[in-house]
Amino acid sequence: MNLIIAIIRIDKMNDTKQALSDVDLPSFMAIGNVFGRGKGTYDAKVLKGVSEDRPEAISQLGPEPRLRPHRMIQLVVPKRKTELAVNTIIEANRTKTPGDGKIFVLPCIDAIRIRTGEQGDIVLD
Amino acid sequence: MLMIRAIIRPEKTAKVMKALFEAGYVAVTRIPVVGRGKQRGLKVGDITYDELPKEMLMIVVKDEDKDFAVTTIIESARTGEKGAFGDGKIFIVPVDEAYTISRATKEL
Repeated sequence: MNLIIAIIRIDKMNDTKQALSDVDLPSFMAIGNVFGRGKGTYDAKVLKGVSEDRPEAISQLGPEPRLRPHRMIQLVVPKRKTELAVNTIIEANRTKTPGDGKIFVLPCIDAIRIRTGEQGDIVLD
Repeated sequence: MLMIRAIIRPEKTAKVMKALFEAGYVAVTRIPVVGRGKQRGLKVGDITYDELPKEMLMIVVKDEDKDFAVTTIIESARTGEKGAFGDGKIFIVPVDEAYTISRATKEL
């Protein structure tokens, strides 16, 4: 089984929830408010200034990129459903602009249902 | 690929983020967390504080960059020369795959 960590835009949270429950992956864990920066060192205000032909906006660029608020969700899925989950999250979140987020797939060793003590893939179905 | 999860003091966050930026690890996620360590929290008289606020930084790096990234975090997050209790922990987790949503590609 795999642990999928997805960092997504705030306004895509509802779409992602809907898309995941549509493909029968209803259970996930929302980590809530996280802050992050990606590889792009741009600032939205500066980009706007440059597009409006005001080059002095560049001088306002800070030494470090700003942190932006995002949402993080985690879900544990069986190995055979990993690809489905990743594709669903990508489809629901894609706007084709930088800042859409990242998805990480980590190995997960075991899952246990607390109510009965069962272990393994049976817990996730 | 490896995911580095560093739990550090909240007041050190800015310094660590700056050090990471200068070391070339631009992409970072910051999560506010609470927790306790081996010292069982802080004891002041009869009162125990066992939910201490910390910040968790999440970075995903290539395998060969692990030691450099970890040293960067340790050097900037440590209090004083020898460090103090409560400076935090760093955990390293394997990552199988990473996807960029905007390009729908499998890459870091």
